[in-house]
This record gives sequence, C-alpha cells and structure tokens, in this order.
Amino acid sequence: MNAGVPPSQFSGASPARVLAGTLTTGRRHYANLRARSLLTAKMRLLWVIVGFVFFTLTAFVRIGQLGMAAQTPDRGAAADALVPPRAEITDRNGVPLARAFPSYSLWFNPKALGAKGLPLVKTPEEVARALVQIFPAEDYDDLLDKLKTGKPTYLRRRVLPEEANKVFALGEPALEFPRETQRFYPQGTLAAHVLGFVDADGHGKLGMEEYLNTRLLDPRRRAEPVSLSIDSRVQGAVEDELSHEMLETHAKGAAGIVLDVDTGEVIALASLPSFDPNRSDLADNDHVKNRATNEVYELGSVFKPFTIASAIDAGVITDMAVRYPARPLPVDHYIIHDSHDYGASLNVPEALIHSSNIVTAQIADKLGGQKLRNSMIALGMNQRARIELPAKGFPIWPRGEWPRLRTMTVGYGHGLAVTPLHLAQGYAALVNGGIWRPATLFKVDPAHASAGQRVFQASTSARMRQLLRLIVVDGTGKSAGAAGYRVGGKTGTAEKAGSNGSGYKNKHAVIATFAAAFPMDKPRFVVIAMLDQPQATQATSGQRTAAFNSAPVVGHLVPRIGPLLGVVPDGKRDVDVTDLTPLVANGDGE
Amino acid sequence: MIVTAGRLRSMGWIAVLVVCAALVMVLAFRVNALRSQVHQSQARIVALKQETMYLETEFETRANQQQLKAWNDVEFGFVAPASTQYLDNERQLASYAKPIEPGAPAPVRVASADDTAAPYPAMVSPLTGKAMGEAADHAKVTRASVSDDSDDAPVAKRSAKLVPAVATVTLAGLGDRLSTVRHASHDKPAHDKTAKDKPAHDKSARDKATAHAAGKDAKTHDTTVRTAKAGETKPKAHLASADDAHHRAPAGKASGSAPIRLALKDAKAIK
Repeated sequence: MNAGVPPSQFSGASPARVLAGTLTTGRRHYANLRARSLLTAKMRLLWVIVGFVFFTLTAFVRIGQLGMAAQTPDRGAAADALVPPRAEITDRNGVPLARAFPSYSLWFNPKALGAKGLPLVKTPEEVARALVQIFPAEDYDDLLDKLKTGKPTYLRRRVLPEEANKVFALGEPALEFPRETQRFYPQGTLAAHVLGFVDADGHGKLGMEEYLNTRLLDPRRRAEPVSLSIDSRVQGAVEDELSHEMLETHAKGAAGIVLDVDTGEVIALASLPSFDPNRSDLADNDHVKNRATNEVYELGSVFKPFTIASAIDAGVITDMAVRYPARPLPVDHYIIHDSHDYGASLNVPEALIHSSNIVTAQIADKLGGQKLRNSMIALGMNQRARIELPAKGFPIWPRGEWPRLRTMTVGYGHGLAVTPLHLAQGYAALVNGGIWRPATLFKVDPAHASAGQRVFQASTSARMRQLLRLIVVDGTGKSAGAAGYRVGGKTGTAEKAGSNGSGYKNKHAVIATFAAAFPMDKPRFVVIAMLDQPQATQATSGQRTAAFNSAPVVGHLVPRIGPLLGVVPDGKRDVDVTDLTPLVANGDGE
Repeated sequence: MIVTAGRLRSMGWIAVLVVCAALVMVLAFRVNALRSQVHQSQARIVALKQETMYLETEFETRANQQQLKAWNDVEFGFVAPASTQYLDNERQLASYAKPIEPGAPAPVRVASADDTAAPYPAMVSPLTGKAMGEAADHAKVTRASVSDDSDDAPVAKRSAKLVPAVATVTLAGLGDRLSTVRHASHDKPAHDKTAKDKPAHDKSARDKATAHAAGKDAKTHDTTVRTAKAGETKPKAHLASADDAHHRAPAGKASGSAPIRLALKDAKAIK
C-alpha cells in the first residue's frame, strides 16, 4: 500500500531540488497513508456496525418471532389425530354403538420371506389348519386356497389382540397384522338393524349408517358423536326376551318395538334373527331384512282397537252396553267366524276382551268403509312408515273404495298389511290422547317434540285406555299383566297369507302379535312384540296364539324396562275401569 | 504485538457480537428443544387417548348386553325387582320397622317447642303481598327481634317470647342427632362462632344432661336434653323446661356456654 516514488526518477535534477522534492513527496506520502488508513478503519468499523446491527436485528426478529408466533404449540395437529374418520354413533345415554376403531387385520404377504422361495415356513395345509383352530368361523378350504395361490390378500378382518398373538405364535412371517381403522360395533348384534353396517369402501349400508353417511363423514362434524334415541339396555332386554320366546316357540323370526308415545322416539327396535355388523360378508346375508320396518304383515286382531276407536270417535258407538249378535256372520258368500262361541251376543268391551271378529266386523260395517279408511289414512297405514331408516316396507293397502266385505275384514286386521312400526305409531296415537306422531331414531327434547296431528279425540283415547287395560285384566292379554305397571294391550293372531295371493292355506303359519302400552293411567311407552310363525310347544301350553307367546314376552319385558325408563311400579294405582267392569262377563277367548 | 485502543474496541464489539449470536443460538436451540418436547407430549397424549379408546372399546365389547345377559344367566341369576319391592316414601319404609318389644330401651325422642302462644298470622295485602295493620307491626317486631337475635340475653329472651313457633331451644347435646333442625338465624357472625363451638357444647351439654338425670340442680344449666328417660316426661312439662332454659339464658352465658338456636320445623308433629 505504501508505494513511494523510486529514487531513479530524480537522478537528473539538482540536489536541493531533489531534497525539496523528496520532502514534499514524503509528506504527501504520509498524508495519503494516513487518509487511507483512516478510510480502512472507518470501513472496518462500518462493517462491524453493520454486522452488529444485522445480528441484533436478527436476534430481535427471532425473539419477536418466538414470542409472537411460535409461543403456542400447534394443537390442531393433535386434535386432528383424534378426530375419527367416521363419526361415532351412541345410544341415548352415550354408550358407543358404532365407532371407528383401529383394529388388526390378518394380511397374507407372500413376499415377506423374499421374492424367491416358498412364502410359508410350514405347509399351507398346516397353516390353514392352525388358523381354523384360532378362528373356528373361517373355512379351511377357503384359507388353503388363499395361502396356496401366493397372492397378497386379507385372510381376515377385525382380529382381536389375543387372536393376533396366537397367530404370531405360529411363527409365520408371511402372516402380518396391519392395524387399520375400521367400523366397529362393540355391542355386536345389538340393534344391528337400526345401525346397519359399513361396506369395504367405507360407505354406510342399511340403517342409520346409510341414512347418516354424509353427516358421519363430514370433516367439520365427525368429531361429535351422533346420539340415537335407542337405549341399549332396553334394546338388549327386548332382544333377549324375543329371542328367548323365539327359541321356545321355534318361531321363524320376531320383531319388537318400544316407542315413546309423547315424542315418537324409538327406544328399542329389534328384528330377529339378527346379524353381526362386524362381519364383512353381509351383502348376501338374509338376516339383514328388518322385520320391524321392512316386512309387512296382516297383523289381525291388534287392529280391532283402531276400528273401535274410529267408531267411538265417529259417534257410531255411544253406549258400551249395547250388545251385538255374536253368531257367525255371512257376508257375500263368506262367513265371518270367531275362534270360540261366545254366546248369542257381546257388547263392545266383551268383543275386545274375547277378540270377536263378528262384532268388530259389524261395528266396522256400521262405521262405513270411507270413515274406516280415513282413520287408517290418518294413522299413516297407507304409506311407508315415517322413520329415518332407509329400509321401509310399503303397506299392502286396498286401493279405491272399500266394498262392504273389505271394510269388515280390515276392521279386524285382515286385507291390510303393514309393518310393526305402523302398528306402534298407531297405538301411540290411540293411548296418548289421540295425537299421531312420526317415529324418530334421534333423541328428542320433550319440549321440542313433533306437534303431530290429531287422529282421535282425547275422550276416545281415554276410553281406549280403559278398554285396552280391561283386555289385560280380564281378557286375552292376561299374561302381559306385569304387576304394578298397569299394562294394557291387545293380542292378535293372524294366519299368514301365502305368497302371490295364494290365500291362507297353512293354518299353522301365523303371525302372533301383542301391542301394548304402559302405564295405562298415563301412558308413556308402547311395546310391540311380534312372532313370525310360532309353533305350538310345551312352553306355550300347546298353543300358537298371541296370548300364549307374544303377550308373555311383554309381561316379562315391562318389569325389566319400566324402571330403566322411569316408570315405577305401583300396585295401588290404575286406570279407572269401574264403569266398564260390570259390563263384562268373565271368560277367556282369543 | 501492540494492540491499539481502536482495535481493542473493535475486538470487544466482535466479542459482544459473538456472545449475542451464541445467546441467540442457545435460545433458538432451547426453544426448539422445548417445542419438540411439546410435540412429543402431544403425540403421547394422542397415543394415550387412542389407547384409552381402544381399552374402552374392548371393555364395552367384553361387557356388551349379550355378554352381561349370558353371565347373568349362568352366574348371578338377577331378575327385575317386583312391584312390591319398590317403596313410595319414607313412611312406607318406616312401616316395615319392628315394633318395640317389652323391656327394650325407649327410643330417643327429640325436643320440641311450645307453639300455643303463636301470634295470629298477619293479614296480607292482596295488592302488595305484604303484611298490613297492627299485626304487621307485630310481625315486624318479631322479625326485628329475630334478626337482632344474638347472644345478648335479654334480646334472646324477648325473641323466645315473641316467636314461639321458631323455638329457640338449646339442643347442644342433640345437635348431632337432629338432621331436620336448622339455625334460626344465619346472619350473625356470633352464630357462626356458636356453630364452631358446637363440639365443645356437645360435650358440655352431655355432661350437663348426665348431671340433670342424676337429679342435680337443673337451674344452673342452660340446656334441656331429652334423653331416653326424658322421653317419659309429658310434653307440656318438657316444653316448660325448654322455655325455662331460655329464660335462664343469662345464667347459661355466665357459665360460658352459648346456646345453639335451633328451629324445629315439625314442632307440631312431634307434639
């Protein structure tokens, strides 16, 4: 940097001039040197300051960043991890009925031991045999085929941890247990028809899984479970009692409903035999058909209270003491019979107690086809039942004007086929003061229950409560009379019509139904118990009528579910039937 | 090597800069470490919640309705209670009690108060809903006396006279046995103090009750306790002694035990 002038440059000049020149040059040189040094120092200082400011700023920015932005940990990710891919379904008390659950699957990976060589350590036969021992429901040949083909595939879905341990103990690396989020139903077959199931593609099928499919998959709402109106304890009791009676009577199937008469909430809805929604092979399962909402039946005598109520409402019956002839009634080349001979005449309470077709047919005739038809339409018998379930059967509804014979047969429950749910809704209207409400599977706040529509007058409903109670006290429903619960109801045993209108050929194929409500002094719940083709067995005293099979179901069921539903038994309370009791001569009938 | 002051300053600045940078680094590292700890905790929380859900589901599966029913059928055999097993009220429960056998100790009965001199209820104005006229004034005095009620003996005496319905009895010994009694006034700290002193009272009252039963001079006591033996006394006589006890409140105070004021809602029923 200190570049002085070379001495050879001054060689031709005088010494004085050279000296003066040298002095001048030296001063200038030093001055330049000083200036340059100062500049260098300033530049260095500037760099230091710039660096310092830069680091200070960086530190402040970082502190600011930490303080402002990154102080709170990101909770979103953790919360997201807990949101199920499909929302949970619970019962009315929060008991999980369906939830997304990371369960194990059994996966066959033939390349686990390398691409070359055999996929299994043991022979496929040995492995298949061992797997069948762990999973007795699996088919040996099916498993063997899968193991022999050497293609990666699911051997089984939903494997319990203890089962997985057993498979692991087989020492086959090719058998893997991927943990997958699947739909799981902790209660097994309970309320299977209400819940439905989820297919392999994750779409809800049948039941509320299908109805709520969009809601359950909605990313914004799937964190919240959907609460149904079902009470799992009541549902369990209904299924238990029905299956017990089914076994005792060798019935083909059964259906049961418990319905809140004031809100229309379905507390329990059972169809037996049931299915396990946890299984994946449900597409071709016959049991997925819901007998309570999808199958229609001619329910027989349980319709008589509707006819009587319509007649009271229309002013056709004004006096309960009026007697009607009870001899077999010929109408249009057809004779209407009763199951027994009840003498020359019966009044209305007696006709219900003995379940007389003849008297009910006469009352229906007096009422007229149009009015009976209107009542049935008001009770929703001409359309699919109003409920959220997608599987709803369409009633067999006689179209056009009803001729006299049709009016009479519909009067006692023939010639019109509906689902048990139709019947439950109708009975709710019959006993709750005359208001028909659609059934619902969602929990309803009593203050916001559906307003419904009036079908019967309140006075008619009060009279029907007396009559239904009388049937249980003195009539065919005696075995449903749970002490203290003031049960009222009506039996119904209807012969099953053959397919394609082939008539009632098989006299032993019947539908036995008991439609009940309790407590009759202030009805809270309707209970329907229906058995499909019960047989006469020793347990039913050799009978196949509803009085011997369906009514006892209600008799056993009500004491189990009453306290759970807030109905406390009271032997000192009952609906007042003192004005009707003197009109009834004691006797049994169906 | 000679280091100039300027260079030294520069080095100083650089050192400060380095220290600052190091501190920033340390801060950043610590923050990152903490953050990763938080993330780990979050992941653990998620894992634990999932595990809880897993176990819950397993529990629900193993204890589902069918399983419970199967266990009940095999092991327990519980059935729904019959209607006769439900009780309407305490009265019905009491009806199942065993009658007293001869020679059994007499049941303990609780103290009651004399309400014969109850003031006639004040006429209530239908418009304002308040008491009116002379009776209202009387009621006001009564209320005032109740609200002014304290350990002050004359006031206590007056209130006992004016409000016999709200019997101000000293039931120190029975306080722990009476679940239906309530304090006549809660607005005075003095009462809180009294309540706090209750255990001491209980003890002293029990001692005194023993003395009373032994036939010692009852005039010096400020408590009236109906023991099993006292139960044999006629109610009137007992009530008189209760009132006497109130009149003797100063003496009680002098003896150092403040009375607990209790109101028996069901004084009539007991009588």
